[in-house]
Amino acid sequence: MVIVKRKQLSFSEKLYLPEILKGMSMTFRAMFKPRTTRQYPEEPLPVNEVTRGQPRLATNDEDGSIRCVSCGLCEAACPAYAITIDGQDTDRNAITIGGDVTEKFIEREPESFDIDMLRCILCGFCEEACPKDAIFMSDELELADFNRNDLIYGLDKLKRPVSQLRPRIDYIYKVNERWQAPSSTR
Amino acid sequence: MDMLITIGVIVAKLTCIYGGMVVIAALTTLAERKVSAWIQFRYGPNRVGPWGVLQPLADGVKFIFKEELVPDGANKWLFRLAPAISAMPAMMGVAVIPFAAASPFYQDEGPLAIASLQIDVLYILAFSGLSIYGIILGGWASNSKFSLLGAIRASAQMISYELALILSIMAVVVMTGSFQMNEIANAQGGAIWNWNIFSQPLAFILFLIATFAETNRHPFDFAECEPELVGGFHTEFSSMRFALFFLGEYCAIFVMCCMTVLFFLGGYHVPFMEDAPWFLQVGAMLTKVIALLFLFIWVRWTIPRFRFDQLMDLGWKRFLPLALANLLVTGAIASGVF
Repeated sequence: MVIVKRKQLSFSEKLYLPEILKGMSMTFRAMFKPRTTRQYPEEPLPVNEVTRGQPRLATNDEDGSIRCVSCGLCEAACPAYAITIDGQDTDRNAITIGGDVTEKFIEREPESFDIDMLRCILCGFCEEACPKDAIFMSDELELADFNRNDLIYGLDKLKRPVSQLRPRIDYIYKVNERWQAPSSTR
Repeated sequence: MDMLITIGVIVAKLTCIYGGMVVIAALTTLAERKVSAWIQFRYGPNRVGPWGVLQPLADGVKFIFKEELVPDGANKWLFRLAPAISAMPAMMGVAVIPFAAASPFYQDEGPLAIASLQIDVLYILAFSGLSIYGIILGGWASNSKFSLLGAIRASAQMISYELALILSIMAVVVMTGSFQMNEIANAQGGAIWNWNIFSQPLAFILFLIATFAETNRHPFDFAECEPELVGGFHTEFSSMRFALFFLGEYCAIFVMCCMTVLFFLGGYHVPFMEDAPWFLQVGAMLTKVIALLFLFIWVRWTIPRFRFDQLMDLGWKRFLPLALANLLVTGAIASGVF
């Protein structure tokens, strides 16, 4: 059995009005305190390299060529079946890495690379699966349109220069080095 | 010709005062949301127009386009009538509120009011007493437990607080010796310490608190009481009928604030300024009323709701004896017993 001892109220507390005035002075002071609301469209969300936004395809800064070789690993890794890739043969045989033009034989490049943004769950599996460092999660979070077809993003909407994705790329490499994972070409 | 001028003056006064009241009631809804937001560290509506000033307009448009639902088993006629009945008393009450000592209109005697009666005070009290009918009919007609409970609570509450309300005013009436609001206000002209709040502080406190109960405001909003009764008497209402209940509520608050100002806060008189021009008097009146409206909103977002038995206890066992004693002492002093 628990015996609750009530607090003995003083006379002014029993009168109730002084206590109400105390409460009202508190709420009045609260009116001038800084607001905690974020005015969203004007004040965007804070983003950094850890932010896992929408996936974007990296293109080389120098010539704007796409890094993707349409191997289909991200398509296979995607748990939401959001990625659809159609590959094609290419005779493009040079890519530029870090300023050096590397002779390298590239067999394939994507003819079309579609990500259905309505299906994408922003999990980042495509980023992990990619052997060519071609797809990364960007810090772009806003997604709105008037019809569903426009939300299936093609190559034109997905391409981003590497320099724009650099903070995320560096972050991914930092994490991978900590795990002692073999790093591929940077 | 005189006839035409008289009609024109009446129409002009009706337009100004009713238009002004509805605008103030609409802006009060905005102020309510703004002040509540500030108290809770938010911004409140700020998207429609500058500082969200056009928000009430947007709300009104939204309400008009909403579907009107009448629940099964509801009394259709009373259900449709109730919102109008609930908005009517406040609208009628404002007719006798004087906003300045002398009307600026051509050939218009008496104070700036739509109508100046010999028994202003009785008239306005009678109509504020009627405002409960809208709530009872709305609650009963909608054939819902919650609505009926809210309506019953509201009626019990109004009966208990009307007594304290009227008795606390009577002390002022006894002091002034008039049932006319402009005379009560005129008796408080000049210096600020002529205001009745200083000669009748107890009556002022009783009246103010009873006003909260009378207009169903926090901390006495048992008619609505969202956590217990969903929405109380307006649970089943939608669309413009719902909005009409709120218009009635805010108009009633406006009228009650006008009454408080007239009875206790010097009415339309500018402090330390006898015979101020009419626009200054209207300005003084509105300033005081707006300050009181702010108090209403401020209290709403500060104090939690009472328990119903606490409300009844407060009304019958504390306020009624206090108001009676106050009236007795005032009467004794006024009649020269002491």
